[in-house]
Amino acid sequence: MKFSTAVRLFALTLFTYLLCLGAVMAQSRQVSGVVLSGEDNFPLPGVSILVKGTTTGTVTDVDGNFRISVPSDAAVLVFSFIGFVSQEVPVGSQSNLSITLKPDTKSLQEVIVVGYGEQKKETITGSVASVKGGELAKSPAMNLSNSIAGRMPGVVAVNRSGEPGYDGSSIRIRGSNTLGNNDALIVIDGIPARAGGIDRLNPNDIESISVLKDASAAIYGSRAANGVILVTTKRGKSGKPEFTFQVNQGAAQPTVIPDLADAAQYAEMLNDLDIYALPVGEWAAANQAYKTAGTFTRPNGVVRKAPYLPNELELYRNGSDPWNYPNTDWYKSTLKTWSPQTRVNAQLVGGNDNVKYMTSIGYQDQDGYYKQSATGFKQYDIRMNLDATVNKYVKVGLGILGREESRFFPTRGAGAIFRMQMRGKPNQPAFWPNGLPGPDIENGENPVVITTNATGYDRDTRDYFQTNGTIEIKVPGIEGLKITGTGAIDKTMQFNKRWETPWVLYQKGSGFEADGVTPKLVATVRGPADPRLTEANSNTLNILLGTVASYDKVIDNKHTINVLAGFNKETVSGNNFNAFRRYFISTAIDQMFAGGDLEKNNGGGAFERARLNYFGRASYNYKEKYLAEFLWRYDGSYIFPEATRYGFFPGVMLGWVVSDEGFWKNSIGKTMDFFKIRGSWGQLGNDQIFFGGALQEYQFLSTYGFSSYIANNTEVKTLLENRVPNTRITWEVANNSNLGFEGQFMDGKIFFEFDVFYNKRTNILWQKNASVPQSTGLILPAENIGEVENKGYDFSVGYRGNVGDFTYSVGVNGGYAKNKILFWDEAPGAPEWQRSTGKPMNTFLVYQYDGVFATQEEINSNPLDYKSITNNLRPGDMKYKDVNGDGKINPDDRIRMDDNDIPRFQGGVTLNASFKNFDLSVLFQGAAGARQYVSAGESGNIGNFLLDIYENRWTIDNPSSVHPRIANRNDQYFSSGNTYWFRSTDYVRLKNLELGYNLPSFIAEKAGVRNLRVYVNGLNLFTWDKLGVYDPETASSTGQYYPQARIISTGLNVTF
Amino acid sequence: MKRLNKIVALLLATSFAFTACNDDFLNTRPLGQVSENAVWADPALAEAFVVGIYQGFGNGGFDEQMLASLTDEAIFTHPGRGITTITEARSNSADIGWVNGTLAWNQMYSRIRAANVAIAKMSDTNFPKGANTDRLIGEAKFLRAYYSHQLLRYYGGFPIIDKPYTLDSETFKAPRNTFEECVNFIVKDLDEAATLLTGKSRINGRATQIASLALKSRVLLYAASDLHDGPTAKAKSADLAGYAKIEYLAYPSGSRAERWQKAQAAAKAVLDATTGNKMGLSAPVSHAEGIQNYINNSMARSGGEAEIILGRYFINLKNENGGRQGLFNGPNGYNNWAGNTPVQLLIDDYEMMDGTKFSWSNPDQAAAPYKNRDARFYASVLYDGAQWKPRSSANQVRDPLGQIQTGTYEVTNAAGAKVTHFGLDTRNSPIEDWNGSYTGYYFRKFVDANPAIVDQNTWQQVPWPVLRYTEAVLNYVEASIELGQEEEARKWLNQIRFRVGQPAVTETGDALRQRYRNERRIEMAYEEQRYHDVRRWMIAPQAFSRQANGISIRGTLKPGKTLGVYKYDPEIFDYVYKVIDMDPGKENRKWLDKMYYLPIHRDEMNRNSELVQNPGF
Repeated sequence: MKFSTAVRLFALTLFTYLLCLGAVMAQSRQVSGVVLSGEDNFPLPGVSILVKGTTTGTVTDVDGNFRISVPSDAAVLVFSFIGFVSQEVPVGSQSNLSITLKPDTKSLQEVIVVGYGEQKKETITGSVASVKGGELAKSPAMNLSNSIAGRMPGVVAVNRSGEPGYDGSSIRIRGSNTLGNNDALIVIDGIPARAGGIDRLNPNDIESISVLKDASAAIYGSRAANGVILVTTKRGKSGKPEFTFQVNQGAAQPTVIPDLADAAQYAEMLNDLDIYALPVGEWAAANQAYKTAGTFTRPNGVVRKAPYLPNELELYRNGSDPWNYPNTDWYKSTLKTWSPQTRVNAQLVGGNDNVKYMTSIGYQDQDGYYKQSATGFKQYDIRMNLDATVNKYVKVGLGILGREESRFFPTRGAGAIFRMQMRGKPNQPAFWPNGLPGPDIENGENPVVITTNATGYDRDTRDYFQTNGTIEIKVPGIEGLKITGTGAIDKTMQFNKRWETPWVLYQKGSGFEADGVTPKLVATVRGPADPRLTEANSNTLNILLGTVASYDKVIDNKHTINVLAGFNKETVSGNNFNAFRRYFISTAIDQMFAGGDLEKNNGGGAFERARLNYFGRASYNYKEKYLAEFLWRYDGSYIFPEATRYGFFPGVMLGWVVSDEGFWKNSIGKTMDFFKIRGSWGQLGNDQIFFGGALQEYQFLSTYGFSSYIANNTEVKTLLENRVPNTRITWEVANNSNLGFEGQFMDGKIFFEFDVFYNKRTNILWQKNASVPQSTGLILPAENIGEVENKGYDFSVGYRGNVGDFTYSVGVNGGYAKNKILFWDEAPGAPEWQRSTGKPMNTFLVYQYDGVFATQEEINSNPLDYKSITNNLRPGDMKYKDVNGDGKINPDDRIRMDDNDIPRFQGGVTLNASFKNFDLSVLFQGAAGARQYVSAGESGNIGNFLLDIYENRWTIDNPSSVHPRIANRNDQYFSSGNTYWFRSTDYVRLKNLELGYNLPSFIAEKAGVRNLRVYVNGLNLFTWDKLGVYDPETASSTGQYYPQARIISTGLNVTF
Repeated sequence: MKRLNKIVALLLATSFAFTACNDDFLNTRPLGQVSENAVWADPALAEAFVVGIYQGFGNGGFDEQMLASLTDEAIFTHPGRGITTITEARSNSADIGWVNGTLAWNQMYSRIRAANVAIAKMSDTNFPKGANTDRLIGEAKFLRAYYSHQLLRYYGGFPIIDKPYTLDSETFKAPRNTFEECVNFIVKDLDEAATLLTGKSRINGRATQIASLALKSRVLLYAASDLHDGPTAKAKSADLAGYAKIEYLAYPSGSRAERWQKAQAAAKAVLDATTGNKMGLSAPVSHAEGIQNYINNSMARSGGEAEIILGRYFINLKNENGGRQGLFNGPNGYNNWAGNTPVQLLIDDYEMMDGTKFSWSNPDQAAAPYKNRDARFYASVLYDGAQWKPRSSANQVRDPLGQIQTGTYEVTNAAGAKVTHFGLDTRNSPIEDWNGSYTGYYFRKFVDANPAIVDQNTWQQVPWPVLRYTEAVLNYVEASIELGQEEEARKWLNQIRFRVGQPAVTETGDALRQRYRNERRIEMAYEEQRYHDVRRWMIAPQAFSRQANGISIRGTLKPGKTLGVYKYDPEIFDYVYKVIDMDPGKENRKWLDKMYYLPIHRDEMNRNSELVQNPGF
C-alpha cells in the first residue's frame, strides 16, 4: 500500500469516528454528592469517581461536588485521588453522598508516563523524573524550557539568552555524554522529535513531563542516547464543562546588567593606555605629567598630550557640560526598567462517559527590553484533545494543535545591539541634551536607535499545524490484547521578511543655534544606502505512522504481565525559497515587486529524511514485589547507509520492593514503610552527527556541494567536495547503567530517591582530524571512533507535613555528572598535561596564570625566559607557570583545563506551603562546576571596560600583583589564552516564587464562579553568584548578548 | 456501526503492518548536492568542480588584514589579529600569528587535493571527454602548481602530494620533499598546463597559458635567489647554517648562474607572449599621465586590464570582502577602518619626480614632502592635504572639500581665538577615532576613487592581481642584472618607469641592483611581493627590524591669517613635518631568522611524524 494512501485512509476514518460520536448515549439514575479531605475536611476537587466494573466515571469539581449516573442501586462507586486511600461505596438507594477520603501519604500510587505507556511510580524500575504541568504553570517564564531548571533531579537546563523568541534553555539530561550532539529527544504526546519542540508549548496545556534518564529510554532507541523528555498534554475528563480563564500580566528586566566604567574612569584608562605605548622607562614620569599638566615632554623632546586632560576628566566627573562632556550609561539609555508581558489562556474541559474534550486557547505577548522596542514575541495557540469511546472495543483519540509564533526584531541583531552597549563609550552621548539621538559608535549603530523600527524590521513568523490521532482497538475474544494505531501529520511553515532602511543620527556640526549656546547638530543618514528587502519561505511536513499491539494480563493476582510491540515510520520533507531586492524608489512600499531589477537575487532548496522503527517491551512483576522489564528497539535511519542502517537497542530493568518482604515489614518497615532497589542497563543510539553546530547528513555518500566564483564578470556555480565518504558509518551507542533506590518513612511524610549512573558512549561519531595530517587535503567524514564516559548521581529528598491548617512540603533535588574522554582521535606527541583524553569534553588549552609582575624589579629578577611569547616584558604583565620546569615559557606550558562551561552539578530546593486559602511555592535553583571565559577583547579605544577591571587593574600608581595592566583590546600576550580570564559561574538563585490566594468558595459562589484565584509570582528574583559581572548562565565572554530575564507577574484564574 | 468500526479498524491495523515491510523510503537523497559519479560523468559538472578549485584564492590579497602589514610597507591599525606576533618575531608553532586562508597549510592542501581529484578523474578512460577537457586538466595542473608554490614560498619544501588520498590509503604520512624537488614538480605542472592551455580563449578569473608562464617565472626567480642557494643562505644566517635539512629550504649546491638563466628565460617567455599596458615607451610620459596610467593599472581598467595575467575578480551581485578595500583601508574620517596604513619607510622610498632620492635632510623636501614625488606616490597613498572623495553628508560641515586631514592644525573660533583642530583622519578625530591611522597615511592604490562608491557601505569591483604582467618584467630585469646583462635590464626597467613619468635609470653594478629593488618595492607595493622579496634577497635583518613609523604634522596659521573651517592651504598655514617611530607598546618590530619561514603548526607535526620542523621553531 502506498504511504500517502494510508495517511488519507487514516484521516478519513478518524473523521468518520468523530461524526459518530454523538450517537452513543445512555439513560440511568443520577447520584450526586461531595467529597471531602479527611486531612482538613475541605472539599477535594478532581477526585475521580468510577462506577465499578464499567468505564463510567466523573471527577469532582472545584468544590468537591460530583454528579454521576449509575445503572442501578447495586452499583458501587470507586473514589480515588492521588495522595488519598481509594474508597469503594455501594450506592444503595442514596442519591446524595458525602464521602471523606483518608489521606494516603504514600504517593507511590502516582502514575508516571513512560515510553509507550504509563506506570505506577511504585513499580517503576527505571530512573524517571517527572513534574506536573501545574508546577510549571507557576512560573511566569514565557518559554516553557525555562521553567524546568531545578525541578527534576539530573535534568540540567541552562538559559543562555532572554531575547523574546530565542529565550529557551538548553536541556541536558545527566550532563554531556558525547562529543557530538547532546540534545535530549523530546516526545510530545507520543510523537518523537516534534517540530517546534518544548519551548513554545502553553504551560496550561501540559499534564506532565517525564524524563527518562537511563535504559528506560531504550524503547526510543535510535535517538534516545541523550535521554528522552516525554511531554503529555491535558485531556478531557467526565463531568460538567469546566471553563477556566487565566490572565497573567508580568514585567521583565535583565537579571544582570554589567557594571561598566563611567566617562571619567574610561578617560582615565585611555590615558593609561597612551602611557603604556611608551617605553617603560618613561611611564612614571608620563603618568605624573598626565595627572598634573596633561602633557609630557619625552626625553627625545617630543611633547605628548594626554588623550584627556585633568580638567576634562573633571568635566566628565561633574557633568556640568553635557554637550561636550557627557557621561552616558548606555544600558540605562537603551533599556527600560520593566518590559511588559502578557499571557492569556482560556480552557474548556469536560465530557461524558463516552466523549471527553479539552480545548485550550492561548495568547502571549512579550516585549523586548528596549525603549521603543522593535523586538517582541507574540504567540497564538489552540489545542484540542478529544477522546471518544466508540464502543466497548474501540477508543479514538485526537489531538490538534495550531500555533502561530511571531518574532519581530529590528534589522540589527541583539548581538550587535548589546555589543554597542558594552562597547558604548561613556563619553559619547546616547542623546544630545536636546533629545536628538547622538552619533554612532560605528556603522550607524547607536543602540538607542537601532533597537527601534528606525532601521526597518526583521520578522519571523512560524505556523505549526499538528495533528495526531490514535485508534485503540481491544481485540474481541482475547482479553487484554489491544492494538493501537497512531498517526501524526505536522506541518510547519516559516516566513521571514527583512526590510532594511536607512536611519538618521545626529552629530555636532560647527557653530551654534540662534541661542548661541546650543551647538548646531547635523542629521546624518546611516545604514544601507537604500532600502533592501529579503523574504524567505520554508515549509516542512513531518509524518508519522505507527501501530502498537499490547497485551496485559494478571494471573492469580500475582503475576502481572505486560507485552508490547510496535513500529513507527517517520518521514520529514521540506523545501524553502528566498528572494532579495534593492533599489526601491522609496521606503514607502515594503513589497518585493516594488524593488529594482538590478542585483536582485533568489534561491531555494529542499531536503528529505526518513526513519523506520520497531520497538517493544515485556514486563513482569510478581505481586508488585519483584519487577522485571525488557525494552528494545530496532531502528533504521536515513543517516546511515543500507548495510549499517539498522541498530538494535535493548534495555533491561529490574526492581525489588524490599519493603514488601516479611523480614522488612517486621523490623525496619515500622518506620521505613517503602523501600525499593532498582537497576537498569541498556544500549541506546544516537545518529545526530553534528560538526560546527550543524547536522551532517550523508556522511556515507561521495557528494559535492555548490558554491560560486566570479569568472568573466558573472557569478558561476562551482562544485566542492563535501567530504571523503565513510561507507561504514553507523550508530553511536550509549551504554547506560543505573542503580537506584527509593523509599519513604512515616507513611510518606519523608520520601527519598537516589540514583547512581555510569554511561559509556561508544562509537562516537567524530572526525579523525587530530591524526590524519592536513597534507592529505581530506575533508574527513564522521567515523565511529570516540568513547566518552559520564558518571554521577542524582537524588531527591522530600518531606511533607502539616500543623493544623498549615500544610507544607520541602524537597531537595540535585544531580552531578562528570564526563571524561576515554578515547578520541588525539595525536600522540602532546605533553601529558595537555592531552584531552582523560579530561572532560570541550575544555581549553591555556597558560596557567601565576600572578602579575608588579614592578620592573620583579621582571629583572625573573628567571624565566618568555621569549616565545613576548620579547618585551613590562610591569603589569602576567606571569605564567613554567609547567614543565624547563625555564622557558612556551606553548608546552599550556595546560588542559578541568572545567568547561556546562555545570557539573545542578539542583533545586522546593518549598510549598498552604494555610487556609493561601499557598506559597518557592524554588531555589543552583549550579556549580562550570567556568566562563570573561574577555576584555572589545575594551580599549574601541570601547568601554567592565567596572570590575577599572577597580582592580594594575596601574603605575597602584601596582597590583594579582590583576594585570589593561590592554587595548587583546593586544598583549596575556589578554587571552590563560586561566586568569576563566571565572567560576557557581550560583544559587531564587528561581521561582508564587504566592496565591483562593477566594473562599462561599464568596466565589456568590460571584457565580466555581473558583477564583489570584497570585503573584516571579522568575530569577535573586541571584548569588561568583561570576560577578554577567548572569552566571551566560555563554558570552564579552557580555554582548541579550541578557536573561527576571520576571515578576501577577495573575488571575477564574473557573466557571 | 459497531461492526463497521471493527472492520475498518482491523483493516487499518493490517494496512499499517504492510506499509512497514518496504523500507526503500529510507534511501533519501541530499537534494542540494550532486553525487561524485554524476559529476565525473558530465563535463559541465566537471567544469564546475575545476572552477571551484579557484576558490582557494580567497579574496586574493584583499582581506581585512593584508600581507603588506607584515612588511615595511604598512602597519596594521587594529590590535589582536596576530599581526604583531609575526612583526615582533614572536611566532611559535602553537601560535603562528596571522596566516591568511590564501596561504594556510590546510587550505593549500585541500585545494591541491581537489586538483588531484580533477586530474585523476578526467584522465580516467571512463570520463566523457569534451571539447574543454584538455583545458580543464590544464587549469587543474596550474592550480595544483599555484597552491604548491604558496606552500613552497611560505613554508619551504613541502610534502608533494600528487594523488588523491582515500580513507583506505595505506599511510597518510608524507615527508617533506627537497626544495629542488618541489620547484621541479611545480615547473613540470606549469609546463604541462601551458601546453594544454595554448590556444584557449581567456576567461577572466581563470588560468591561461600565459598565467602558467608567469607563475613559472616567479617560481624560478625565487629558486635562483639568495635565500634558496644553500651556501649563500648558510653564509648569511646562522640559523640556516645550523639547520640539518637545508635541502628542504634551498639548493645545497649547484650552479646559480644556470638558475638565473632559467629564471630569465621563463620571464622572457611571458614578455614574448603578451604586452601589458603602456609598455614600450622610449621616454617618460607627463607626471599627470603617469598618475593616471598607474591608477588604470591598479584598477585594471582603461587599458590596465592587460596588466592582469590572472586576477581574482569581484562583482556587486556577490558581495565579497574583496570588494571592501575602501572600508578596510580608508580613513576613519570617512567612517572607514584604516587597517593597513603605509609606514613612513615606504613613503620615503618614493623617488622625487626627477628620479633622485627623497631626503629629509634636504630642507625644501622636508618642508614639503608631498611635492614633486614619483607619480605612483599620488596614485598609491592618501596623505595630508590629498584631494579625496566627498565626506559623508554629516561631515561635510567639517570638511566641505574632501581633503585628507592627518595633522593637527590651528583654526580660529567664532570669538577669533586660535584653537586646535585635530585632523578628521587622525586618532584624535571626532569621527571613529579608534580607527585612525597611526602613521598619518592611508592606502589608496586599490581603492576605487569613484565618489559614488561610499566605501563604508558600497562594495567596489576592483580585481586582485594574482599574477601581473609587470611582475614578469621585473623578474626579467632582476635575472638580467644577476646575469650581468645590465643594458637589457635597464631597457625593461625604464619602460616601467616611463609609463609613470619617471626618468630613465642609468646606474650599473650594485647601484643598479638597488635601483631595481626600490623600483620593485614601489611598483608592486601592497601586492604581496615585499614579504617574499625581502626574504629571498636576505635583507630582512635590516629591512624588517626597522620600526614602523609615521608622520606628525602640525599646521599653524601664518601671521595675520584666520580660518574657521580647516582646509589644506600652504598660503594660510605653515606646515611642519616630523617623522615619528611607532610607540613600542603599539608594535615593537624585530627580526629573527626563524621568521624566514612559517612554522608548521605543532598539531600537524603531531599528526605526521615524518615532518621536520623549520629552523628556529
